[in-house]
Amino acid sequence: MPAPSQRKISIPLHGASCLPAWSASREAQECFSLVDFVSSDLEDVAQKCSLSYKALVAVRRVLLAQFSAFPANGADLYEELKSSTAILSTGIASLDKLLDSGLYTGEVTELMGAPGSGKTQVCLSVAASVSLGLKQHVLFLDSTGGFTASRLYQMLQARAEDEEEQLEALQRVQVARAFDIYEMLGALQELRDSLSQQARGAFFLQVTSSTGPLKVLLIDSVSAVIYPLLGGKQSEGLALMMQLARELKMLAREFSLAVVVTNQVTRNSSTGPLKPALGRSWSFVPSTRVLLESKEATWEKANTQRIASLVKSSRQPTGIQVELDIGNSDAQELSPVTPTQGL
Amino acid sequence: MGDAFRRAESGTQLLARLEGRSSLKNLEPYLFAEEGFPIHGDVIEFHGPEGTGKTEMLYHLIARCILPKSGGGLEVEVMFIDTDYHFDMLRLVTILEHRLVQSTEETIKQCLGKLFLVNCSSSTQLLLTLYSLENMFCTHPSLCLLVVDSISAFYWIDRSNGGESFNLQEINLKKCAELLEKLVREYHLALFATTQTIMQKSTNSAESSFSLKLQQETDTDYRPYLCKSWQQMVTHRIFFSKQYNSGNSKTFSFTSCHIKKKQIVKRSFSIAECGVQF
Repeated sequence: MPAPSQRKISIPLHGASCLPAWSASREAQECFSLVDFVSSDLEDVAQKCSLSYKALVAVRRVLLAQFSAFPANGADLYEELKSSTAILSTGIASLDKLLDSGLYTGEVTELMGAPGSGKTQVCLSVAASVSLGLKQHVLFLDSTGGFTASRLYQMLQARAEDEEEQLEALQRVQVARAFDIYEMLGALQELRDSLSQQARGAFFLQVTSSTGPLKVLLIDSVSAVIYPLLGGKQSEGLALMMQLARELKMLAREFSLAVVVTNQVTRNSSTGPLKPALGRSWSFVPSTRVLLESKEATWEKANTQRIASLVKSSRQPTGIQVELDIGNSDAQELSPVTPTQGL
Repeated sequence: MGDAFRRAESGTQLLARLEGRSSLKNLEPYLFAEEGFPIHGDVIEFHGPEGTGKTEMLYHLIARCILPKSGGGLEVEVMFIDTDYHFDMLRLVTILEHRLVQSTEETIKQCLGKLFLVNCSSSTQLLLTLYSLENMFCTHPSLCLLVVDSISAFYWIDRSNGGESFNLQEINLKKCAELLEKLVREYHLALFATTQTIMQKSTNSAESSFSLKLQQETDTDYRPYLCKSWQQMVTHRIFFSKQYNSGNSKTFSFTSCHIKKKQIVKRSFSIAECGVQF
């Protein structure tokens, strides 16, 4: 590496900022972006800047090592996944069956449905089930104002007798409100920082922080923050949406979280099939998608019956349907968490 | 730039490289329009809307590559670049278990040892990763297949970062495409890349560089949106779509086009727990 007194190279974070390469006599000065430097012919650069070719090759190697992604071997990755992947029960037995035992960590699952189809209720049920039955932490990002702590408490009361347990479970559910895309991206960045810190801290100290081991991230709803961005000719809205999508998938993958998002539905024509809102680009994002609909029933009484259909899945055939009840259900059977050990 | 690396290659490595990379025959005869197997330097693009089986087809091809010869595979190595954070390892393992006669943990791990995975979170990182992977292609002569899923993942983000100028918007992908072409040519690889259908079919035929006659024959919802460098290096384009039969069963179909020879083949397949079935 070049001696610091003679030459100075600052490493930028992204291609946008410059990489000044100074020669020993400070006569020649070339500015490169990170990408330009890596892709340029180093012999040319060596001549222009009168720096040694060897030094430039060394710098290039360091930059590549720092900024490029490192390939992992399939066998190692499989070992890691076997120990870190878990399947979390949603608290609704029929929905668990639809999802092939529950929500898988490391993936984004989408619940889509018309207003009133029960998406928020299912999210609350997931929060109750994970915080009470599995004793894991949950983060609920609310962008519609639909989260009510009293309803969550009601669900917990239906599942556990002991008040002590109910209160402990309530403490494990963290709620944050984000009413536009920037607040949501900010909340996700905060989450990422605290999870990274925990990962580092757990290595050195045996301290359990108040947030604890987070397992589920619920976002209700993602269409509420993205709808205002779409439309018009600018691609900025779509870029923000894809940034959000990428952040969710990276969080799910890197920290082994189960991410659940809720979305609206639209149709192409009045008789066409229901499809998820937010357009084609978003449709590729979740790995699993469930459609919630009301059962056609009598209008006389408040109907809490719903039908869930599997619209997208990499594990089960699509099209299977189950019925579920989102109302004041009596104690539901909680299936225990089954970490995948050797499929 | 590659000189420093290439000087390190010994004679035996060179021979191994040239010999080892001629074995992609019988990869999947159904996928290709004429000779039935990809030859080196081929760039195959999988294009289609969501849920049409592109990633499943990739798992099928990967399984064919990494299975041992006794299990009906080609025993070659595969490099998988995942830009979507989409790769489902457990699904691949399920497919391998169904295809191996004796599937033990050991044999599965042996197969998986031939697969290399990289995750890229931006087009800049993709470009830098391709530069650093060059070394890997040199040192692994049995690495024949390069898969990128998907190459259109950063499209909107790049467009927004590039501001008003089309050149700036496309520059990262253009550099990636040029580098991929160089890697495929120099190291005798076959490249499979998926692109997503994120735009509706263009009514302005002047926009599409894809020959109009070919498009009418294939009757697909294809609108090219990636940069010209990428479109010109594709040798085979395969369009995936879902079919709804009168019974409740859904099958998938694809239309495979050889760009230069203008040959078209249509086939359908279904996806079961053991993977793609023709």
